[in-house]
Order: sequence, then C-alpha cells, then structure tokens
Amino acid sequence: MSGQDTGQDYDLREVTEGTVDAATVTDGALMNAFCEAMMVRDLPRMAELRAEITETAGEDAMVDAAATIAAFNAYPRAADATGLPLEDKKAELTVAMRAELGLDALNVAAE
Amino acid sequence: MTRVPNPFADAPVTIRPELVPALGVALEQLGQKGDWLDGEKRLAVAREARNAWSCAICRDRKDALSPYAVEGEHDHLDELPEAWVDVIHRVVTDTGRLTESWLRDHLAGGMAEDEYIEIVSVTIITTVIDTFALGIGMTAPDLPEAKPGIPDRYRRADASPGPGWVSTIAPEDAAADFADFYDDDSHFYIRRSLTLRPQETRRFWEVMNQLYMEDPRLHELDGLTRGINRAQMEFLAARASMLLGCYY
Repeated sequence: MSGQDTGQDYDLREVTEGTVDAATVTDGALMNAFCEAMMVRDLPRMAELRAEITETAGEDAMVDAAATIAAFNAYPRAADATGLPLEDKKAELTVAMRAELGLDALNVAAE
Repeated sequence: MTRVPNPFADAPVTIRPELVPALGVALEQLGQKGDWLDGEKRLAVAREARNAWSCAICRDRKDALSPYAVEGEHDHLDELPEAWVDVIHRVVTDTGRLTESWLRDHLAGGMAEDEYIEIVSVTIITTVIDTFALGIGMTAPDLPEAKPGIPDRYRRADASPGPGWVSTIAPEDAAADFADFYDDDSHFYIRRSLTLRPQETRRFWEVMNQLYMEDPRLHELDGLTRGINRAQMEFLAARASMLLGCYY
C-alpha cells in the first residue's frame, strides 16, 4: 500500500531515521519507540512503552502494534535469506525513492 | 491425541480471536514433521534460534563493518551441525547482510537447498512467535513436545531456480496440490520466497496472515479489524524492515 494509493504524503526519512511525528502517523513517536525496543528485545523499555501505548491508544492498539512488528520480523528475513530481488514493476515505481535513500548501493554489497 | 494448551489463550492482554489459534498452531507445528526435517530437528532449530540472541560472535559481527571479516565460533547448544547453526544465527541476528556467496558456500558444503529453506522458516517462525509474546508482555512460550513422523524429503518437480538465490515454485508452474496458494493473484516475490517447501510455506503464511493481513493490496483496512490504523501499520512495517536492514 503506497501513499499514491491512499493519497497521503510520506517523508521516507521518517522511516529510515525514525523521526516520525503525530502529524504523519498517529502516536508516531510512541509507535517508533516501541518498534525499536522490540527489534532489540529491550524488555524494560518494552514494558514502559507497552504501558504508555495502552494508556494513550488502548490495549488493542498495543497488541496490534506488537503483531505488526512481529510479522515484519518475518517478511524481511525471508526476503533477505532467499536473496529476493525487487519485482520489475516495484523497481520501476521506486526509482526516485531508492535514489533518495541511497538504497541501490546496498544491492552491490549483497552480491 | 492430547490437546496441548495454547499459551496465547492465557495472555495477560486480549488478543484478536483469530490470532490466538494461529499462534497456537504455529507453535505446535514447530514440533511436527516438516517437508524435510522431523519434529526433533525442527525443535532443535527453534532452540538454537532462541539461543542466537545471546551469541557473542553474532554481536561482534553485527557491530562490524563486514560481518564476514569477524572470525570465530558461534555460542551454540551443541545440537546441530555447525553450518545449520551459522544459518540460524545469521538469520536471527543479521539477516540484512546475508550474501549469495555465503549461501553458495553452505550449499557447496553439503546443505540441501530444501533443508536450508526449512531451517530458515522454522528460525523465522520461532523468532516471530517470541517477538510477539515478548511484545505483549508474556515470556517466550515453552516449545512443544516433538511429534513422531518422517518427512518425505521429496524434491518438487515444479520448482525451478529464482527469482532470488534459491529455487521456488512459480505461479505458472505450480502443480495441482499447490496451485491454490496463488489463487488470490498475489504473486509478489515474497510470497514465493519459501515455496520450495510447500507445507512449510503454508505454515509460514497462515500465521503471518493473521499477525499482519492476508492481502496488503487492501485499501486502508477494508473488512479488517485492527487496533491501529493502516498508516500506523505501514509505518511499523517499514520501520521494522529498515531496522533489519531489508530493502526488498
């Protein structure tokens, strides 16, 4: 699902640098902090953020944030462990984005 | 057969009803025979996947400019061949910097491509179950008992090399027993990634579909009930991928 489909504008650096704010993503900073803590299994920090998200957005938000982060511990690992290339259509659609973020250089390193 | 309690049914928080059985089944399947590995071996892979988080050499490699420049032996549980341990640990700790030459070395050393796919899948499913459990405030659930059964180890005739480093079953080549996997027209490469082992592929997607969503081409969350909105989901998805160093 891209911003072109939803009509929303995204600053991709919010994703690469984790500088998202609430204007772009509801509770963005909190979601980002929870994601960062889960990815490194920082249990004390996860407990703090779990409580904060539950208080701010509700328990169901915390659970589904955890579910999404868990799922995205899978797809990237499966893609990278099998060396998946980008589909041609995706590659065409993301030329500008990959240039902006300097991602093409990383393909060379993986060969 | 004795029904094993699903630890997610007793979670300290309320989990979506469809997600609880999906997680319980995925956990149980770790101890059931796969396409290539028996239940005991799959559980040994799962244990090693958990152990990888505390491996000193993996930490050093993660910090290094190139993980392949750091020599040393993994801290391991002594249950599996060294090559398997290396695959499991790198998939857990630094999957974004795997290379084709690294994989080719393992295959040249005697690891079967089919074996590799199942090791990767079990490693990932274990990591996902544990990540979710820890995320919602549980401990990582106990692994199940191994179930008896001998994998058939039948090499699929409908698999062929690509689109990445390993063989997959392309939608147009899928035999009758697997063609339905592509029924929803979602032919993204990620869906093909583990198809060399069809049973394992189905197991993988059955739990991931519930954690995230079955068809990401949905506009917003049409028909799905989630506690966060689509923008939040996509931000978390992109951010988690970024933190793993994945640019697919």
